[in-house]
Amino acid sequence: MAEEFQITDEMRAQIGKESEPWEYEVTTTSVRMYARGIGSDDPIHYDVDFAKSQGFRSIVAPLGYIGTPVFLPGKNDPTFGFPRREGGPRLNIPFRGLLDGGTETEYFDVICAGDTLVETSHLADLKLRESGRPMLFVTNEAVYKNKETGKVVAKQRLTSIHM
Amino acid sequence: MTQEAKQSVITDEMRAVVGVEGAAATLEVEKTNCRMFARSVGHTDPIFYDEDAAKARGYRSIVAPPGFLGTPIFNPSRPPGAPGEMGGRGYSIPYKRVLNGGTEYEYFPENDVICAGDTITARSKVTGFEEREGSLGPMLITTRETAYTNQHGKLVAKMYGTVIQY
Amino acid sequence: MAQVYFEDVKVGDEVPQLKKNCSTQQLVLWAAGSGDFYQIHYDKDFAQRTGLKGLIVHGALKNAFLGQLLHDWAGEKGHVRKFGCAYRGMDEPDQDILCRGVVTKTYQDGGKNYVELDVWTEKPDGAKTSPGTAVVTLPSKN
Repeated sequence: MAEEFQITDEMRAQIGKESEPWEYEVTTTSVRMYARGIGSDDPIHYDVDFAKSQGFRSIVAPLGYIGTPVFLPGKNDPTFGFPRREGGPRLNIPFRGLLDGGTETEYFDVICAGDTLVETSHLADLKLRESGRPMLFVTNEAVYKNKETGKVVAKQRLTSIHM
Repeated sequence: MTQEAKQSVITDEMRAVVGVEGAAATLEVEKTNCRMFARSVGHTDPIFYDEDAAKARGYRSIVAPPGFLGTPIFNPSRPPGAPGEMGGRGYSIPYKRVLNGGTEYEYFPENDVICAGDTITARSKVTGFEEREGSLGPMLITTRETAYTNQHGKLVAKMYGTVIQY
Repeated sequence: MAQVYFEDVKVGDEVPQLKKNCSTQQLVLWAAGSGDFYQIHYDKDFAQRTGLKGLIVHGALKNAFLGQLLHDWAGEKGHVRKFGCAYRGMDEPDQDILCRGVVTKTYQDGGKNYVELDVWTEKPDGAKTSPGTAVVTLPSKN
């Protein structure tokens, strides 16, 4: 029952479990689509020649765009696109409501079109807030490495709210 | 032969446009947009999603699904209808309403198959104007043909479109 | 689907039907996939202000469904050479759209096996909404 929900030891044991890696692709079309979606008109996100003249490999991924996860029918969530992976945390959450609790991104390099990133993530925290209806805050941490160089280019802390 | 409406909207300016190729537009075919198109249609064939599956079937990379010819390069700094943008028209018609009459795609697999990694050049031309009197009143039917060549200069597809203005 | 061969196809044969039913979510996915963000396909208020009863399915998406119908039938060794349709009738989300095709002609030319078809999408009451044609090449058994 949702009202009697408690975070169990079994759930807490999922914290720290690393998922299998998944590729995220950054392409010229996807960079432009994201930039267009946020309403940016900065040519650094659209014009390859301009981006190169500024010293970048190609057009630059707008802040917040970490690439598109490779989508394989049956393997990715059809609504949210995230990969459902074999390894990694398994949580059975009884709540039907879902909200985005926020994302924090730390960059270590510039991400450009043409990059393929390899992402691994783990469950970092579980918090239950009991004021009013119960709300479960699930926080994941993800590390993105450039597939070619192996270097970490970004880290994210993502929170979702289930209620 | 074309049936002349009481007042023909076809001008000499329009007649001069028939058969004339417009400026080329560039379309990009990449893994992300091939998959997005395939996913939105509901395709199940893995060659539209999985590079290994596509290569196992003899393709260079993920295959562009039927009806997908790439994404035009979007740049907000260029005004819509500028040369190179698809759909720019050099003439105006008095009819305010538009219907898409239909689209046909033709492929030339003996030349090449469109795959992720391709850059496609699209060149469009009006192939004809026709006027008809129908249930919607007087209509202007414009037929267009677009030829798509890839980065190796091979003709990979043609699109035939019909627009009905009334 | 097992590979279909030219020798096994005759005029009048119907290809396996493909049933679609678009959720409003699919119409948004199609907007992203096609780059057509016209609001009559996902914003009901907008659609009604243009005089439509409600949201309608993109004609081009139905055309792409026919592409899937043909691609899956042609199989790994077949090729879809030509397909298209007229966007005649409107279809709505959350309603069955049946994609169908019937062989109208078979012939060989220049070493290739050609099959021509009539293709269309159909509403639950049988009304044809997107009539069109297609040309497919198929492999020979030998």
